[in-house]
Amino acid sequence: MKLIRYHNSPLYSPSVNHTALRNEMDRLFDAAFPPLDLLQRDFPVDLYQEKDALVVRAELPGFKKEDLSVEVADGILTVTGHQKATATDAETQSTQERKVSRAISLPDHLQVDKIQATYEAGVLTVKLPKTEEVKPKQITVEVK
Amino acid sequence: MNLLTKKETTSTANRVVTPRYDVRETIDAYVLTASVPGVDKTSLETTVDGDKLTILGRRAFQVPANWTPVHREIPQTDFKLVLEIDNRFNRDAIKAELSQGVLTLTLPKAEAVKPRKIEILG
Repeated sequence: MKLIRYHNSPLYSPSVNHTALRNEMDRLFDAAFPPLDLLQRDFPVDLYQEKDALVVRAELPGFKKEDLSVEVADGILTVTGHQKATATDAETQSTQERKVSRAISLPDHLQVDKIQATYEAGVLTVKLPKTEEVKPKQITVEVK
Repeated sequence: MNLLTKKETTSTANRVVTPRYDVRETIDAYVLTASVPGVDKTSLETTVDGDKLTILGRRAFQVPANWTPVHREIPQTDFKLVLEIDNRFNRDAIKAELSQGVLTLTLPKAEAVKPRKIEILG
């Protein structure tokens, strides 16, 4: 059996080790609120490997084609949706702005100049063709 | 206000998820917008049965056989939203529009609930 000294208020008692308490609080907060990079996902993204291309699907409902941009720079694909809608009612005029973005790091050997993107039913599909050298090649070896 | 209240959906064999939706009131209608990405016209059903308005959207996308998933975040569940509507709506004049994964339903108010001016006689 252990005898533990009784404290009226563990938070303010000088004999309590505050570091331990703070660590425990940090741990609880970390568990309750996941790291920001997980929360900061603006929209979900799927990645697929095709035989001669990498395919990215991004769920971006309610945009116009011209509000979406797909950019590749330094091996990073950035998909951005930027929408500015102005609604005019009988009495009020309101402007709504929405900007979402995701960055995906890309593998090497992609033909950046041949990227194709389509937008259908609120889903953006980006096809990034691979360069010839990484496509699996079948070589027939003659056995003599 | 309990107009357009969400009805608890009973779980069916297929897993469904409630889409994100919004209801806006204009002078003569209620406008509902629901986010149903990946759903096209042919896979969306909007039905009014009694006092139940049901929106069912099936994701049309199937991963092609030659695509290997590397990383997946987009859920594959279908969308279902069941709302209760009463006689404050003119249910014969409900209009639906689907554009880039966003469904816009216009539910006109019934004549009885529209604002009206009452003339003073005499």
